[in-house]
Amino acid sequence: MEVLAKVAFGVYTLVILGGAVLAVSSSSLVRALVGLITTLIGVAGMYLLLATPFMAFMQLLIYVGAVSVLIFFAVMLTHAEKGGDEAGKAPMKTYVYGLAATMTPAALLGWLVMKHPADSMAVPVEVPIKQLGEGLLGSYFLPFELISVILMVAMSGAVLLTWEKRGKK
Amino acid sequence: MSALTLYQIVSLVLLCAGLYGLTQRRSLVGMLISVELMLNGAGLSMVAAAQLTDFSAVLGQLGTLFVMGLAAAEATLVLAMIVVVARRFKSAKTSDITTLKE
Repeated sequence: MEVLAKVAFGVYTLVILGGAVLAVSSSSLVRALVGLITTLIGVAGMYLLLATPFMAFMQLLIYVGAVSVLIFFAVMLTHAEKGGDEAGKAPMKTYVYGLAATMTPAALLGWLVMKHPADSMAVPVEVPIKQLGEGLLGSYFLPFELISVILMVAMSGAVLLTWEKRGKK
Repeated sequence: MSALTLYQIVSLVLLCAGLYGLTQRRSLVGMLISVELMLNGAGLSMVAAAQLTDFSAVLGQLGTLFVMGLAAAEATLVLAMIVVVARRFKSAKTSDITTLKE
């Protein structure tokens, strides 16, 4: 059982890595989106490994189901260019600065994680979904309601932003 | 290496991939994809920390759920902004929208 968990962890890590590389480096935005979806599915697998099936389900439902469709609409509505939006060469300076901006937090956080490992359990405990529901309607009621308000405001703001008066064209 | 460290390294890789993409991408949609990568890394790190330590597991999972909700709201708003920018400038590249006023 232990070995199987390690194998699954390795497979999901590879899926996440491959998807992330595709999402960051692909010159076509649709391919980058496919990479993002691959990464999201890999993260959902990680949630399953952490004994949180509810989070894995929500990851698939919200991210793979809703957010990636939204991004796909964004690609469609911006008249994506033939040959990819990122096809042109960037100046060398951009790569150097980008790598520096990436490596600094990576080195800092990586050093912290390696140097001060927290005591961790080997096997995560599954929380029954009933407890999550009680948390949502009990101690964390206010953030739960605030999230719905924020979603409402975001949706109506999006409609308002893209509103076009009839006959204006 | 403990299990928590492994999960944290994976989420660190996600964060760095997102940061690198955010600096390299030259279109707004590509930057949005990178931001989603970073948010996923944060969620994974939170759930791993809540499940593998003595910390309240309910709080960790609900926090990640809230992050997902915020990410959905953010994606909606960014989509609307990209549509407005694309309509006004006929392009969604960052190099075309650097001027404040013409």
